[in-house]
Amino acid sequence: MSDKFDAIIIGAGPAGSACAYTLAKAGKEVALIERGDTPGSKNVTGGRFYTYALEMLDEKLCEEAALERPVTHEQFMMLGGERSITIDYHDPSFHTPESVPMSYTILRARFDEWLAQKAEENGALLACGIKVDDLLEENGKIVGIVAGEDEMYADVVVAADGVNSFMGQKAGLIKDLDAHTVGVGVKEVIELSPDVIEARFCLRSGQGAARMILGCTEGIHGGGFLYTNQESISLGCVFMPDQVAQYKKSVHEIYQNMKMHPSIYSLIEGGKTIEYGAHLVSEAGYRGIPSRLHREGFLMAGDAAGLVMNTGYSIRGIDLAMVSGIAAAKAIIRAAHPYEAGPLYMKELENTGLIPSMKKMDGFFDILETPWIYDRVPNLATGVFSDLFSVHGQVPQSIKNSVLQRIKENRLSLWQLAKLGLKGVKSL
Amino acid sequence: MSRIVACYKWVAEEADIRINADLSVDLSKAKGKISDYDRNAIEAAVQAAEALGGKAVSLTFGTQKAKASLKDVLSRGPEEGCWVNGEEADNADSSVTARALAAAIKKIEDVSLIICAEGASDTYARQIGPRIGAILNLPVITSVAKMTFVGETLQAVRKLDDCLQTVEVELPAVVAVLPEINSAPIPGLKAVMAAGKKPVTEYKSADLGVDLTPKTQVTAFKGYVMQRKNIILSGDVGENVAALVAALRKEGVL
Repeated sequence: MSDKFDAIIIGAGPAGSACAYTLAKAGKEVALIERGDTPGSKNVTGGRFYTYALEMLDEKLCEEAALERPVTHEQFMMLGGERSITIDYHDPSFHTPESVPMSYTILRARFDEWLAQKAEENGALLACGIKVDDLLEENGKIVGIVAGEDEMYADVVVAADGVNSFMGQKAGLIKDLDAHTVGVGVKEVIELSPDVIEARFCLRSGQGAARMILGCTEGIHGGGFLYTNQESISLGCVFMPDQVAQYKKSVHEIYQNMKMHPSIYSLIEGGKTIEYGAHLVSEAGYRGIPSRLHREGFLMAGDAAGLVMNTGYSIRGIDLAMVSGIAAAKAIIRAAHPYEAGPLYMKELENTGLIPSMKKMDGFFDILETPWIYDRVPNLATGVFSDLFSVHGQVPQSIKNSVLQRIKENRLSLWQLAKLGLKGVKSL
Repeated sequence: MSRIVACYKWVAEEADIRINADLSVDLSKAKGKISDYDRNAIEAAVQAAEALGGKAVSLTFGTQKAKASLKDVLSRGPEEGCWVNGEEADNADSSVTARALAAAIKKIEDVSLIICAEGASDTYARQIGPRIGAILNLPVITSVAKMTFVGETLQAVRKLDDCLQTVEVELPAVVAVLPEINSAPIPGLKAVMAAGKKPVTEYKSADLGVDLTPKTQVTAFKGYVMQRKNIILSGDVGENVAALVAALRKEGVL
């Protein structure tokens, strides 16, 4: 075996495996190196996956992919004290027999293993249980990697090693983490029978729901998420670590309180926790993307490149990872010389609309930076609903007065809300 | 060149085995792995091959699932892999497994040493090594904690409770090794990469010409739950200690 590959890809997640798949299919010699004992074993993502990215990788892949439920119910939930409001947007067109459903819930341990296997079937060499320790550099170029006592060379090294990319740091393209730009996520997979899941979420057989939850973080910048899998629910919460550090409770305690909320508990009651994990997630969106995603002989893709979009009503990362992995592969295939791969990669990212999409959604970061949307807004909303629906036989307050009173109660002002609204309109 | 055969078993990962409320055992979510003790047997074969100037060959008997073991085992050093593929492996008893392995060993040329682990990490029946020896009419040394080779002679140190016994045997022979014989290293990048390119021979169990009908049948497979007394002592520390001692005496622990 030669020690030189066309490309070495570090990390067999969606970015790395999509990149390896594309390169191997084009006949390139590819090594795909994964730190976990199996691809996906180190992953904690929610999650939901938008199928267009898999279609982009190869037609018909969706039909055999390890997916859970097609999402037809998009939900948004606000928790205020013991009260809650849930908005359920049901769109049957998200899942029709004629076309591939727009998105699926997924369990990453299954999905990642499947995708890496597809890359392997195309001819990529997959090596699991291997930690890459360093990059090899010659004359200012990245020329390979070091893993334990082994060195391996390649024209291009692709870092798809996830958030807080050690390879990106070794290459000098990113600095150590800034606590302000990442969230700490905890997630549990709770086993329930399909019948129970479908009854509790009002789902048709086999269909799924994705839910974002606001007001479950005790005022800390963050939020909850919930996805219905075939035979389990993925429930979790993301917090900004710098704020948790100043708070008197641990992430675990806050998350447990969220689980005990009457509106959440009734969804998971009787379920059995089969998995529990925690991970970092990039929260900075467009401005979290490192200023440079490449050096000669080196590209960064997926979470490593900060390609995560959080709008507050949906989270995207897996699809962006795959798109960037494909873009990296295309750049490597087209590059006549390794130094061309970087600029070609950036061009691909622009052409696929990935970077422009993230730029467009950049304003959400500012909205999500508003500290009082995490407790006072859900309290206000649930309070107003309480006034609307409470009937005790007395002369009711006018709705206007009740709203104003609730605003005051929550130490907010109309002016603040109007400003947020304006900010919202601008960023949309 | 003489061959040193390392036998191993592809077992279910214990961490993934689930025991349901009705005590039924669910193996459906369990990933496979090389039996933990077999990793040392494989490493022992690699080291023996080096000492004897031979070639280490891995051998397993398993269902289609065991195919996934080949890349793993070959990343641990053997130069060739052998796999007896048969659904009989699912309900095989020790005699069936030993017959299947022995039949495959007969097909491998110039075998000088067969190494098994003392027992598999799932059943720990400790039968395969001795049974293979019996079938092939070869000397067997069990509980081996150390091996040294002088020419074609194997000097093995057996660990017996609190004694060490040293025995010598002319090769070919069968040994069953203890995990302390070596520390099986985690395969490195190049070893893992090279594993996929090593030659693998697959034998269909039906083609071996041996009877693979088990004599023992598994009639039940159930979870075991330890019944706990769940005695909680509360109150004054002094009284608690006395109560604890009394409770332990009553249970015959003290």
